[in-house]
Formats: sequence, structure tokens, C-alpha cells
Amino acid sequence: MGSLSTTRVLLIGLIAVALAAFLPLGVSGYILGLLTIAFYFGVFAMAWDLLFGFAGEVNFGPTFLIGTGAYTAGILDNLYQPPIWLCVAAGALAAVAGGVVLALPALRVRGPYFGLTTLVAVLMLQNFVVVDASLTGGEIGLTVPDVITISDAKNYQIALWFMAISGAILFALSRSPVGLILQASGQDAVQAGALGFNVTKHKLTAFVISAFFSGLAGALLVFYLGSASVGTFIDITVGVQIIIAVVIGGRRTILGAVLGSIFIIAMSEALRPVGDLANFIVFAMALVVVLFFPNGFFGLLTRSKETS
Amino acid sequence: MLFWQILIDGFAISSLYALGATGFALIFGVSGVLNLSHGALMVAAVVAAWAAGNDLHVGPYAGAMIGIAVGFVASMITYFLIVRPLQQSRKIREQEKEIFILTATLLWGIMLQELIAYFYTNNAKTVAPIVEGVVRIVGVRTPANEIFTAVVCWLVIGILWLLVNRTRAGKAVLAASMNPRGVTLLGVELSQVYIAVWAIYGVLVGVAGVLLGMFLGVSSYSVGPLTASAFSIVVLGGLGSVSGALIAAYVVGYLETLTAYLISPAYRTIPALLLLVVVMYVSPRGLLGRR
Amino acid sequence: MAEKNAHLEVRGLTKRFGGLVAVKDMTFSVDAGKILGLIGPNGSGKSTVMKLIMGIERPDAGSVRINGTDVAGWPSHRIARMGAGIVFQHSRPLHRQTVLENIKLALLPDKLTRLLADPETDTKARAIAARVGLSGVLDRRPATLPFADLRKIEIAKAIARDPQVLLIDEPFAGLTSKETAAFSDLICELRDDGRAVLLVDHNVKSVARLVDRVLAMYVGERIAEGTADEVMRNETVRRVYLGGTIETAARPESSFRDTTTPFLEVKNVSVHYGKAQALDDVSIHVHAGEFVSVVGLNGAGKTTLFNTISGFLPYAGDIRREGASLRGFTAATIARKGIVQCPEGRELFVDMTVRENLDLGGQHLPAAECAEQIAWLFDLFPILRDRQKQAAGTLSGGEQQMLTIARALMMKPKLLILDEPTLGLAPVILEQLSKALERLRQTTAITVLLGEQNVTFALPHADRVYVLEHARIVWEGEPARFAADVSTGYL
Repeated sequence: MGSLSTTRVLLIGLIAVALAAFLPLGVSGYILGLLTIAFYFGVFAMAWDLLFGFAGEVNFGPTFLIGTGAYTAGILDNLYQPPIWLCVAAGALAAVAGGVVLALPALRVRGPYFGLTTLVAVLMLQNFVVVDASLTGGEIGLTVPDVITISDAKNYQIALWFMAISGAILFALSRSPVGLILQASGQDAVQAGALGFNVTKHKLTAFVISAFFSGLAGALLVFYLGSASVGTFIDITVGVQIIIAVVIGGRRTILGAVLGSIFIIAMSEALRPVGDLANFIVFAMALVVVLFFPNGFFGLLTRSKETS
Repeated sequence: MLFWQILIDGFAISSLYALGATGFALIFGVSGVLNLSHGALMVAAVVAAWAAGNDLHVGPYAGAMIGIAVGFVASMITYFLIVRPLQQSRKIREQEKEIFILTATLLWGIMLQELIAYFYTNNAKTVAPIVEGVVRIVGVRTPANEIFTAVVCWLVIGILWLLVNRTRAGKAVLAASMNPRGVTLLGVELSQVYIAVWAIYGVLVGVAGVLLGMFLGVSSYSVGPLTASAFSIVVLGGLGSVSGALIAAYVVGYLETLTAYLISPAYRTIPALLLLVVVMYVSPRGLLGRR
Repeated sequence: MAEKNAHLEVRGLTKRFGGLVAVKDMTFSVDAGKILGLIGPNGSGKSTVMKLIMGIERPDAGSVRINGTDVAGWPSHRIARMGAGIVFQHSRPLHRQTVLENIKLALLPDKLTRLLADPETDTKARAIAARVGLSGVLDRRPATLPFADLRKIEIAKAIARDPQVLLIDEPFAGLTSKETAAFSDLICELRDDGRAVLLVDHNVKSVARLVDRVLAMYVGERIAEGTADEVMRNETVRRVYLGGTIETAARPESSFRDTTTPFLEVKNVSVHYGKAQALDDVSIHVHAGEFVSVVGLNGAGKTTLFNTISGFLPYAGDIRREGASLRGFTAATIARKGIVQCPEGRELFVDMTVRENLDLGGQHLPAAECAEQIAWLFDLFPILRDRQKQAAGTLSGGEQQMLTIARALMMKPKLLILDEPTLGLAPVILEQLSKALERLRQTTAITVLLGEQNVTFALPHADRVYVLEHARIVWEGEPARFAADVSTGYL
């Protein structure tokens, strides 16, 4: 990836997004709907990649951040019906608070232990949602009274540009000095500290940024879907889908995460004829990628330059 | 009365947790692998036992045996198809192997979950118990099956203890869990030790799964929580410490039972998870951790 | 450039790990434009001192003053900003970035708001690269570079912030003599900028040419301080590194019957750790029944050599046992073939009893033979008989070492490899260990390959001696000649 300059990648990305913006002229609402979801998923995956790929934090609980954002926005809308943008903002802020909570153990415990705390965080949130059914809708799910728009094309454009802007920010960040420091902290915190970097500060920032985008995307997705449920926002399976989107797309590339997300959604759709087995096949493919192509799609493109 | 009920119920569920977590701890101790498909392997064993009873109409004993066999086979597949290729991979940096194994076993677990849901639906399945009826212990009406569960768990743990402490091969396995390099220096092939522990683990998972199926019943949704509870127990006890895991199993088992009886069954798992977070924050090595 | 008043002052620095005192009441200072060498064998606490100064570990007591400010207990990044920099021994550059980007990293301010690098950063990074000699490889990725260049990246990163106090861990480990010379020049230049430099290394010799003063440590305490010459002549230092007077009792090589094919032959073996060369074309041989010592300082490559023989490391060259190549056999198979190692780290099963540890060693033997062997070993190491039921982890260091040897002997080895058995042991224990080895040599036909830094321990039993230095065998001969030929240049 390093061989492609930041501006060139952003340019290619911009062209891709601009082309995608004309898609509503030629495709059905159904496909637009799928892509809308894929784009939100892409943001989830990019936010996760920032934490894992750059800060080196194994977060098995991306859905903790997403769920916090989504449910906060949904519940707020359900109770008081404030303007939607306020709900979305509240969701993003709640997710940031969640990110800080998640970061606290990360600054103390390492590796698998941290992975476990994140898993626990997801289970706790799930428990809370299921138990506190009067507020959250419990296992049935939460229906929000408002949606941003019912137009497929508009929803598609919102998701597309939201993803494009988030992607540009996250990608630029990963290539910026801050991204470099983050990578150094993730790889060797001791050395980063000895070079004068406050590792705690940088990692906390990574958590906050990752949480912000996760929560924002989660909240927006709620107002697209018109409902929130454990199965779509919190379940560990959802978290694993996000992780495999990144692994398939290529870790530490940010943009690979979007490719991975589109791939997963597209595969699930293509496999619709096999019914419920579709998920199984997608996961199996992801496993094959993990086993045989540990660097993912983007990794395959750039592999020759990496190895020596 | 309530006190005794909690004591008895808690004991049975804790024994089950102990059995499940022992294998998990053993694998981590010997090979440093955290198997996140643990819950899925257990559920696979239950569903196999259930299907054998329901579809093939075999008796409860034969059903249990089939369940255990499936647990064993699933464990061996996990090792040979997923864990070992990753451990031996040259494409993945050493420091990243841990996260790859975590991710791959997590994926594998979810694959199994999807497969089970596809063929056998998401409905909860309860395996026909081997022992039926109810007995009274200090005034508490207790299903005989609950007692059976606790007894079998401790029997299996006892056999495992004997195997590990009284046989040469077992001793080597135990030694490997303390110091893998040490046993290599004594001429023991670690690759064989790995196969042995995954085999032992498979049997334990199978037994624990089948008992759980008879006791509480499981659905494909149980995969995540089962993995998490085993993981929590093992972390609480200190990763890699089998005795620590046994103690932690009782802490978690009783905490859950207490919550279920005194507060609400809905909150069952929450205090244990909270405790886990607190312990990890205060003492990241767990209660009795070595590593 | 660095200010002229750069000054590092350490007073009463103490660090405990559990019950172990790793650093005890260390006091020293380094002035601007001076180099202090901090030397000591493995486990002496010298690296811990460095980590304490840099804030990577927190001291239990004492002060660390940088230009007068006490920074003891501060987090690492604040100490770095006070003007301390460190060159780590193991380089871990960012692999996906180029050399230039790696250097730029070190120049970045610790700010979250800086989303674009200063335009000056590039110029500065190039200047630093030129200074350490990396100009030609700026756009390469670290993975494609030789080891010496990776070390240069570490130095470049450390000096990017223009530290006034510079700590360097084992500056020359893994470098060729030519590279070492270039590195020495670089370190001198950095000193001449007016920095206070602390070099941490195993022995005086490697840093003697550079340092103004040397401080020698042993088990956490200062044992000597002075010029390199003074420290090399110091009695305590000599005892720690060389031991006392040496008596030898070598049997001539011709007295071993298998002179045509020795039991073990190591032929032109080279080993690399990543880019670092750990063994360079090493050839040694051991006859059946012979007692061979490989003498060398920590870091010379002894452990690497033994681990290569034991099958733990990939290598170039050939290793033969009774003429048959050992290539392709697993470590466990090699152990079962009778080449058994007592590793430096001992690798005991600490939660098991002494007896259980021994039983594990004898697991390939029939029960009766196993019992017989244990009885013989209890005779050799009587203390182990008394400690049978005790957990191995609760034994003293000396007892643990005896148990390690006994456990290996349970395998009935044809060749026993002892790696640094005296490490961290008190002199009394050394004597007991020494007697046991002598008895082993007198009463059995065992073949021994011993790796030692402590010459007094290594020579008395040896029939033949190799000296390993900087990954190469530099001397081979009878122990009696060692004193005359080598010992002066050994420290």
C-alpha cells in the first residue's frame, strides 16, 4: 500500500465514489438497498481496522460501540422524537463514551485478555437490551417512528457519501503523522514511549475515533432500517462479519475494509438461493482467506512488495 | 429451603462448567491456543445426541455416546484443519498467530452454529436424560438427572486427574502444560502431546455437552454464551491453570445460580461477567494465574 | 545540537521483582561529552538499570536526574522529552513504512492535532539518515535491509529528538568487526556533540576503546568502577568473569578411541536470527567420552550453538552424530538419540515435585531401570533425595541446577550438553556442582559439552576447550594452554 501515494489512492477512491453516485440511475431499488447496508458496514469495518490494524488492539466487540450508538439514537427517537440529527449525534456521543469505557481495560491488559473484555462488553450490552425490554424492545427489537427518508436513491446517496467522507477521514488519518505514531504504539508501546510519545493518549484517541464512526454509522443505519434489534446490531455474529470484512479486504488498509464489506454483502445476496446456508458459506470463505491468504485482497495486490 | 436449593442447583451447574472449562484450560496451557469455537463444539455434541434420540430413535446411552463421539471428531477437525495449519503457517508473523487463531476458531464456531441452525433449526433441544425421576435431598425436590450430572462430571474429572497424574503419558501432558520446551528436551514430541490434548479435550467437550443437553438443553444461540462462560472461567482461574479453572467454575456457577434465584433469571450471566471484568482489571493474571 | 551541560546522575537506584533484588543501590553519573560503560554478565541487572533510567520500569527507590531534574518514576515519554534517548538492542521498525518514514516517525511531535507533517521533517530526517549512513536506502523497506542497517535505523530514531543523554543497549551485538568500527565512530561523534552516553554491554573488551569509565555490575550490585584498564585488572571482576586459579586435568585427544569419526561433529554451521548472524561458520567436534568446554562471554553464541545441535534452530552447514547427519530430526528425536541438553533457563516443571521431574526424565526407561537411575542420581546429588517431595519451583538456584542436570541424566544421555550451569549461582554451590561433574567424569563414560563464561568452572574438567567470540570459534586447544594464550584478552 505504501507504494501508492495517499493522494493517488484518494483520487481513485473519489472517482469510484463519483461513479457509484450515478448508480441509482441504472439499478433497482433492491440493489441500492443492499449497497446502502454494505456502505454502513464498510464504515463499521474501517473503524474497526483503525483500532486493530493501526493501534494493534484486538477488539472482538465492534458491535458494542455500534450497538451503543444505534440503540441510543433509536431509544431517544422512540421516547421524545427530537430531530433525527440530534438522535444521530447523541448516538455517536454515546458510542464515544462507550469507546472510552472499552479503552480503560485495554490500557491495562494485553492481547487475549483485552479481546475477552471486549467480548464481555458485547454480552453485557446484549443482556441489557434483552432484559430491559420496556426501553429497548428486548428480543423483538426496537421500532423507531422516524426514518430519514423513504427514497431508496436518497438513502443510497446518504450512505455512499457518509462512507466516502468517513473513509477519506479515516484513511487520511491512518496516513498522517498521527497514524504513524498509532502504528508505532501498536507495534511496540515501549519503544514508542521511549521516543517521547504518550502511548495512552494516542490509543485513547484511536478508541474515541473508532467509536465515533461506529456509533454514527450505527445510528444512521437505525434510521435507514427503521428498527434496531440485537440480531442486526449487537450479536457477536455481526461483530465477526465486520472482522472478516477487514480480514478479507486486508488489514491495515482502511479502504480494504470497504471492499470486504461489499464482498460479504454481495456474497450473502448471491448465495440467497441456498437459503440460510448462505451465512455458512460466507464464513467458510472467510476462513479459507484467513488460512491461505492472511493478507486479504489488498494484501494480495501489494504482497510482492512486502515480502523479502 | 432456598439456601439448599441454591446449593444443590449451583453445585450441578458448577460441575458442568468445571468439566467444560478443564479441557479449555488444558489446551491453552499446552499449546497457548484459546479455542473460541468451544461453545459450538459443545452444541454440536448436544445436537448430535438429540438427533440420534429423535431421528434414529436410539436409547439415551447410545445417544450420549454418539454425542460424545461427535464432540471428539469436531475437536480433532478443529485442531487439524484450523489450529495446526495456522500454527505452522509461514505466511503469518509469529506475533500475529494468536489473533489469527482466535479469529479462525471464532469463525469456525460460527460456521458450526450456522450449520446446526440450518439443519436442526434454532429451537432449543433437550436430550432425553439417562436418569429420570426426582429425589428429595434435605427437603429439596431435585431431579435425579441433576445429581447424575454432578456425579458424572466429577467422575470424568477424577479419571482425567488419574490419567494425568498416574500415567507416564499423562504426566508428560501435564508437564507440557507447565513448560512445553522442557518436555521437548526430554524427548517428548510436542506434536503428539498436542494431538493428545485435543483428543482429551474432544471427549470432555462431548461429555460436558451431552450432560448440558440433558440438564438444561441448548440451542444454536448458546454457542456464544457457552464460549464466553468457559473463557471467563478460565481467565478467572488464571489462563492455563487447570486447578484454577475448577475453582473459578464454582465461583461462576454459584454466582449465576444465586443471581437467578435471588434477583431474576434474566440477569443470570451479568454478575459473573462483571466479576470477570473487575478481576481482569485488578489482577490481569486471574485468581491463580501463572502466565 | 545538544547542550554542553548534559548530565545524567543516578543515586541509590533500587528495583525489586517480587523477592528478587534486580538492582541494588546503584549510584553513578555521566557528564556531557563522556561515555560510561555499564557492564555485567546476563542477569546482573544492567539492562534493568537502563530501563529504570528510561522509565520503562519504575524504580522502587532512588533518583535519576537528567540535567538536575529528578525523573525517577516518570512515564517513559516524559523522560524522553526531558532529553533521554535509548537505542534498543532488538530493532522493531515499522515494516510497512520506508526507512525515511521510520526516521520521520521519531521526529513527529507528540500531538494529536498534527495531521500533516512539518515540511522541515523531511529535511531533518534526511540529514539524520546521512549522518548514520542510511542515505542510500531511504526508500527501502526495513525487511529488505541487512542487520547493520536496521541497527542504524534504531540509532537514527534515538538521535532524532536530539537527546542529551543517550542509552545504548549492546551496541555491537550481531555486527561484523567492520560494522563495529563504523558504529564506534558514530558513537564517538555523538559523544563529541556534548551528549552523555551510557553503553550497556556484557564485557569490558567490546566497549574498552570507547568508554571514559566503566562500571561493572554483578547480581544487581556495583562491583567495580574505573577506567577500562582498571576494571579489567580488578580482582572481583576477574573472579566473576574468570574465576580464581585454574587447575586442569586434561586427557589428550588421542586417548579417545573414535578419533576417525567423533561422536558429534558440527561442520561449518551458520545461524541467523532474522538478519543478525548468531553463528558464523562454526566447526567443533566431541569424541565419545570426552569432556569439551566451549568458553565465551554472554552473547558470544554458546546458547545458539547448543540449541542448533539440539534441533531447535534452522541452520546452514552440517551436524553429525556418529557420522550420520542430524538434519531433519525434531528436537525431541535428537534428545531421544542421546543428545540431551540442560538449558540455560533450566526449563524445570516448577509446579511438580523433584521426584516427578526426575520421573519425567526417565519416562522412556522401564520402571526398574528408572528406579536404579534415580538411586544413582540421589547418590550423585544427595540434596535432591532430601528434597524429593518438594516442588521444583521452591528449590534454591543451585538445587534447581542440580535437578536440571539430574533430570537430563535420567535420559541416560550419550552426550550431555550443559549450557551455562553456573549462571547466577553462589561460589559454594559452584564447588558442589564442580565436584559432581568431576565424579561424573571419573565414574562414567559420559560425554560432556559444557558452555561457560566462568573459566574456572569450565577448565578443570575439560579435555579440550573452544573459545567462542562474536559468533565465531577463535581458539581451540588444551585447557593448560588457555591461560597462556587467551585469558588476557578474554575480559
